[in-house]
Amino acid sequence: MIGPAIAVACIALGAGLAVGIGAIGPAIGEGYVAGKAVEAMSRQPEAEGSLRTTMILGQAITESTGIYSLAIALILIFWMGIPLVEKLLELLS
Amino acid sequence: MEARVVFEILGVPVTENVVWTWAVMAVLIIGSAIFTRNLRRIPTGVQHVVELVVDGIEGMVVRDIGPRGRVFTPFLMTLALYILLSNFAGVLPGGVSPTGSLSTTAALAVLVLIVSHGAEIKVKGLRAYLKSYVDPYFVLLPLNIVGEISKVLSHAFRLYGNIFGGGLIISIIYMFVPYVVPGVLNIWFGFFQGIIQAAVFVMLAIVYIQSRLE
Repeated sequence: MIGPAIAVACIALGAGLAVGIGAIGPAIGEGYVAGKAVEAMSRQPEAEGSLRTTMILGQAITESTGIYSLAIALILIFWMGIPLVEKLLELLS
Repeated sequence: MEARVVFEILGVPVTENVVWTWAVMAVLIIGSAIFTRNLRRIPTGVQHVVELVVDGIEGMVVRDIGPRGRVFTPFLMTLALYILLSNFAGVLPGGVSPTGSLSTTAALAVLVLIVSHGAEIKVKGLRAYLKSYVDPYFVLLPLNIVGEISKVLSHAFRLYGNIFGGGLIISIIYMFVPYVVPGVLNIWFGFFQGIIQAAVFVMLAIVYIQSRLE
């Protein structure tokens, strides 16, 4: 009975760590992109339009690694965690 | 996480994603029929908007792939509109956005893969296409293959993760504060992220096609 309990605990821990650590990289990257874009805009205000679209695009693409860790956490929880929890509840009852 | 089966046709389970895809398709087909009813040389009213959107995407395509890229515009246009509307579908009460499931986004990413690789085979011929995998040295073959696969995976996962994650966050917060906050979040995750992710998906599709055609 202890096996599934440990597994559920590890899955929950893994999902939390995945998203937590996975958020560091994109946060730094997107902040850097935004900072450089603001600098460029202050240097050339007339290019603001194209700069903004490129900035948003760059940030969206940088964000994808964070989204992969989110997707892994979701898979961990929904496809592995919940079936195990149900199995654990059966064992308990 | 499995999509809810709504009903079955001849034993084939039809999930809610498929049903909402049909709804989005219906909106697109009817909308395009209405908006292109009587096109005139001098555009009036709605035709301005339609031309603006089509020129916008065609401009992006031609700027990156060049004039021969014009043939991809209908495909990219449909991709953009489908993703945009299906991202918005999640905002409707009880609505489900088909792009919130990995099978939809993986199918879209494979579509872009087939179009980009097919275009290269058509333009450069099969030998040049196969040779491009062993370009500088034979050693790079696995690397090139993994590179291509990771492009498709990241393309599919980015759209799926954003839309599904956004929907999940809204549904979780809905349990605690069911009135004001989900509305505001819906505007952010549903509309703003929906537009951004649709734009990112299509622009990356353009870049993938362009990189294969070079």
